[in-house]
Formats: sequence, C-alpha cells, structure tokens
Amino acid sequence: MAGFEAAAARAIEPADPRPAGAAAGPAPAPREAGRWGARPALPREVAARLTSARELARTRRDERREPLPTGVAALDRPLGGGLPRGELVELVGRCSGGRHSGGRFSAALAALAAATAAGEAAALVDLGDGLEPAAAVALGADLERLLWLRPRTLREALAAAEAALHGGLHLVVVELGPPPLPGARALRATGPEAAWTRLARAARAHGSALLVASPYRLTGSAAAAVLETAARPCWSRQGAPLLTGLDAHVHTDRPLRGVGTSTGDGEETLPLAAAG
Amino acid sequence: MPLFPLAARLRSEPELAAEALAVVAGDGERARVVAATRRARRAGVEPGQTLPQARALCAELAVRARDPECERAAQAALVEAAGGLSPRVEDAGDGVAYADAEGLERLFPDERELGRELAAAAERAGLPARVGIAAGKLAARVAAESGSFQDGSPAVVVPAGGEAEFLAPLPLARLAPEAAVAETLARWGVRSAGALARLPAAEVASRLGPAGERLHSIARGRDPRPLVPRRPPPAFREGMALEWPAVQLEPLLFVGRAALERLTARLAALGLGCARLECELRLEPAGWDERAFDLPAPTREVKTLLTLLRLDLEARSPGAPVAGFAFVAHPGAPRAAQLTLFGPRALSPDRLATTLARLFALLGGDRVGSPRPVDGHRPGAFALAPFAPPPPPEVRPERPAGRSSAEGAGGRGLMAVRALRPPLPVEVVTAAPGRERGAGAGDGPASARPLAVHPLAAEATAGRPEIAGRVRVAAGPWRLEEGWWTGEPADRDYWDVELEGGGLYRLYRDRAAGGWFADGIYD
Repeated sequence: MAGFEAAAARAIEPADPRPAGAAAGPAPAPREAGRWGARPALPREVAARLTSARELARTRRDERREPLPTGVAALDRPLGGGLPRGELVELVGRCSGGRHSGGRFSAALAALAAATAAGEAAALVDLGDGLEPAAAVALGADLERLLWLRPRTLREALAAAEAALHGGLHLVVVELGPPPLPGARALRATGPEAAWTRLARAARAHGSALLVASPYRLTGSAAAAVLETAARPCWSRQGAPLLTGLDAHVHTDRPLRGVGTSTGDGEETLPLAAAG
Repeated sequence: MPLFPLAARLRSEPELAAEALAVVAGDGERARVVAATRRARRAGVEPGQTLPQARALCAELAVRARDPECERAAQAALVEAAGGLSPRVEDAGDGVAYADAEGLERLFPDERELGRELAAAAERAGLPARVGIAAGKLAARVAAESGSFQDGSPAVVVPAGGEAEFLAPLPLARLAPEAAVAETLARWGVRSAGALARLPAAEVASRLGPAGERLHSIARGRDPRPLVPRRPPPAFREGMALEWPAVQLEPLLFVGRAALERLTARLAALGLGCARLECELRLEPAGWDERAFDLPAPTREVKTLLTLLRLDLEARSPGAPVAGFAFVAHPGAPRAAQLTLFGPRALSPDRLATTLARLFALLGGDRVGSPRPVDGHRPGAFALAPFAPPPPPEVRPERPAGRSSAEGAGGRGLMAVRALRPPLPVEVVTAAPGRERGAGAGDGPASARPLAVHPLAAEATAGRPEIAGRVRVAAGPWRLEEGWWTGEPADRDYWDVELEGGGLYRLYRDRAAGGWFADGIYD
C-alpha cells in the first residue's frame, strides 16, 4: 500500500509549493485545495484537511501510527492518547486487599468497544470466559467486528493471540481472567517470557495494538508500557445501598517510551452501565 | 491423452518420471503391463507383457498398480484444464476430453495457438496432453492420437471441410460400427473410412438402416454426435492408493500434502476456495475412516488444511494402517473486499479465513466466533455467530470533541461484570430470613441478607477463583424467574456484595435448590 500511495502522489499532484525539506505544517487553506480539482469529490470533513495526494499519503501513514483510544482518559493519558499500534501494553488489575475487582476487565472491554465502534476489527482472547455480550453492547461495542476466542489454558491463549495478530486484526486484547490462571504452571516451566516476546514481535510485525490484562505482572520486558489499576466500589447510600460504579486509580508502572511519567497517575470513575 | 494410466500415476508421484516404471493391472503373477515409462520401454518392457516377463527384461523396474483414485483425479483435472478455456467441455473418460472451440476465435485467431494453450493448461495440471482440432469429435480424437505434429506444436489441426480426407485412411474398426453393420461392410470389402465414404449415402441408408447412415456420415467427416457438456462437479477430488500402508502419521501427511497442493491448485484455477474438506481413508485390511472439516471461510491455504487434518488425526486415530486416501473439497467463493482510502484498514479475507481455520483447529468450533446476546434475562447468556466483520467505514469516524472520558460510546457508563462460567458454588452465611423491603405481597419469602462468603471444599472448586470474606455491603435481592416452561428454569434471588477484602461479586441463591452461587465479578 505504501508503494501505491507514493506512486499516486507522484502521478496526481503538481509540484509541491513548499521548499524541499520543509517540515509538514498544517494543511494549506481550503481556497488552495480548489486548484487540484479533486476537492468537490472528497467528503467535506476530509477535503477540509487535505490538499494534495502527498498530504493524503502522509495522513494515511500518520493514521496508521495513531494510537487506539480506549475511551478511558486515565488509560489514554499515560499512553499518549491510546493503545499504541505495534506495541504490547500490560494492564495489571489489583484490588486493595484482594485480587478481583481492580477495573481491569472494564478497561479491556472499553478498549474493545471504542475500537469496534470506530470500525476496527478486534479480538478478545478471553481465558477467563468472562464476556457477557449484553455488557459489551451496553458499552457501545460493535459485536460484528469483535472476534471472541475462549481458550482453556494459558498456552492456548498465547497461541490464539498470535494467530489473531497474524490475521491482521487491529486490536487484540488478551484477558487472562481471575487467578489461578489455568496452565500457567506448565508454561512457567518452559520460559514464559519468550512467549510474550514472541507476541510483542507479532504485534510489531502486523502493526496491531496488543493489550494484555492480567492479575499480576507477567510479560516482563516484552511490554512497552505497564499500567496498574486498583479500584474501590462506589455505593449509593440513599435508602438501600446500590452499586453505582468503581473508583479506579491507574498507576504507570512503566511509561511508554516518548510519553514519560509527566502525565502522572490517573483517577477515573467507572460508573455502572445503565440497564436496558 | 497418451498412456493415461501412466500419466495419472506420474501426476501423483512425479519423482518416478525418470525411473523405469511400469503400471500394471491384475494381481500377483497374472499382472500385466498397461503402460511403461520411456526408460522401461528402452529396456524392452511393453504393454501386454506379464510382470515376470517385464522384470526379466528390466531388473530395476519399479512397479505400480493401476490406481482408480489417481485416474479419477487426473481425468477431473484434465476436464477442468479444458474448462478453463472453453465453456463447454465433455468428459469422455480415459484421458480424453472434448472442448467446444466455437467462439474462441476471438481469443485465439490461430487454432494452433488454441491448441498450444490447451496443452499448456493440461501441463499445468500435471498432465502431458496432445490436442486435435477438427469439426467433429472423431476427427479431433484421431488427430490428437495421430501424433503428426508440426512446428513443435502439440496440436494437429484438421482444416475445415477436410475431415473426410483426413479420416479416409482410418480402418473401419476405429469408427466403432455395430456388429451387424461391420459384418455386412466386411462382406462388401469395405475396410476403411474412405471406402465407406465413397459409397452413395442413399444406398447405404437403405441397405444398412439408420446405424449405417450414421456411420456413413461419420466417415465423411460429419459427426452427428453432439458435444455433451459436463456440469461442474459439486466437489473436487484428489487421492491415491499408497504403495505401502501407512502406519505412522508423518508419512501419510507427507503424501497428503502433495494431494492437497494439487487440489488447491485446481480450486485456484477456477477462483474458488475450499469451504468443506472431506477425508476418506481406506484402511488395511478392510474398512473406511471418513471425517469432514467445515472451514469458517473458503481458503486455499494448504498449511491450514493440513493442520486441520493433523489435529484431527492426532485426536482420533484411524485405528488401522492406511492403504489409500481421498480428499474431497467442496468449493466456495473466497470473500472479496474493497480496500478503503480514508477509513480504517480492511482485513484481508484470505488471511482472515486462514486465521479462523487455525483458531478452529486450535480451540474448537464452539469457542471461536462473534458474540451475540440472547433474548432473556439470565446474566451471562450468550450465542456465538460466525465472525464475518462488515467492511470498514469509508471515512474513519471522528471522536466528538470534549466527550467525557467517563462515558462509553453510548454515554452509558463503563463498569462491566466478568461472568463466571459455570457459576461458582459458594457457601454463604446469611442473616435471619425475613421479608425484604420492596418484595411483593405474593413473592414468597425472600433470600436472607448474606453476611459472609466461604469457598466450598477444594475438590469442588479446584482451579476456580477463591471468593471468601465477610460481607461489607450487600445490595438486593433482585428476583429473576425465567423459563419455567423449559427443562432449565431459573428462579433466583440476586445480590451485589462487597467483601471486606475489596472484591465485588454478583451472587444468587437458587430458590428451587437452595444453593448459593457466584456468577459474576465486577471488575
């Protein structure tokens, strides 16, 4: 595709008025776009931003490097806007004093919902078999674009994730479920870090975003960024108690290269999805 | 096709082409040579010799029995090769196919060029072929068998109107006359097609009847037999008999891979993929093993088909040595996709089909798919649909500016519950039972408020999450009654509980059985 775009840019557009080597600045004013004659045929929102085939090729290239927003600001901020394409991000979910309700699963589903709603194909490798389709719909997921894989062991989960990455899906979320992880002991004996490194390489090769949601640190050095979530339940105290959501706190354990820790830890309230 | 049984065998085992090979029919000492390679013929091996005679002439002779499965597949491949150039093809069997050349002059103004293309198409299918082009089936067949090629072309063209002259030297027996007609013509001294053609048509018709009249027309080059076009088969078949029964998996897969490659090549020539693969194994000493695989999407990836076969054979061994096999591919049109310029990148249909097939083989068909909610109130209920994502939008949708990060795409919140499948049985200590506020007058006694949760005995919950602790906050109960008319009714009181350890769980009490279960974790 890159070769096609370059050839299209050379064939279609006249000489670029900007001097050679000049940085790509903001798109020229729409008045100039009329010179090329293609603007009336383009969607309005696109024509307002593009002026030439070269700009189009540049925009297309940049879009492929754009992160995938999860819709949860506390996650997107430390990652520079969303899950980076071509990288493995680990999300560790802890619960104060326990291990189960850290907001990890909700964050993973939110990422899937945001990606599929934007038209991207995504896969959920659900080792815990915890997905409720009705909940995914309530979060705004487009179920037709969601591939649900239900492995039985950790080894199957890794193999399924690798296959999904090779299939070219734009986002692969590996949700490992609550501990104990089935088959984790067997994998530990053969060197688990190599498996995660292999997954990270596959994500890089195919330009897919890979999110591993785990109950404890697992991916070692294979992850480009590691975030930890912890959460406290929120109850409504008016009359009988009613569960209204989770107060999730996101801590950056290992920042994404180029983003740093300047964004700080994030606090986010994850309200309960409304019924019906 | 010359030496068709030999050509069919060499198509399956091309490495034997340079060897002294004889294809035989019959068993043991009574086996007779049907065809032999050039190296064997140079040593004196000829069709009709017994196997001991042939071995005596050529000590290094390799022998293969006639394989009906190989010949069936080769014949189908030959017909498909012709079908790639002509829309109407007749399957005449024994390595012969008739293709209608009418209308092809727009593509091939020179008939020799058409003949070269037909021969090349057969060559690509693994079969050496000779081509004859004439106005009738008999003349075309005789032309192909004559071997009088010119300019190195594998085709003999009989000029239009010259069929009678071309067929004139042909012995009468080649026209396959009926016995009575042949006897009469022999008494008359008519021994060649040319001699028959010179007889007056009206006299032949009156003396020999309709059979004689038909034979007379053929001898004059006017073949009245129409081309009977073949309907495309519903499936494509490749297979062979093994020289030695296969006891282990690897040798069988090695030979099977070659057959799958031939099969996918035939599918590719027609732009099709394999939507369902059936495998028939002939067992030694007797019996059959049949199995089938449905592909989630048509594919031509040999690796994927081989992986499916390997996994299935490893899981379910045939239980006996395999003496032969056949693969039947039911075709389907591969998915097409239009790439977008402005929207998200589209998935490659072929790659997706291969990926789905691999995932099916890895996890099983009931664990791969697109989730769907089901009509009902039971939490966690789901259905699986085939994963067939629609094309991406033409333009990537923009995120609305200033949207609250706490809202989902529908603006309705983000916290989700992780289902526990199957529901985890737990022991719950409850307060004294009583009527909860909000319960209806006719609802019956409601579940008592849970005070503490304990896991059951280890063997009952091995490998499951451990849920234990005193209850800090409990909200509920919410009654769920569903499916009382089915075999699996649900009559439950649900509670949301927070344990002092911090976990948030969805519990329910089965009102019919009285037990407590955890079927969700708020995470």
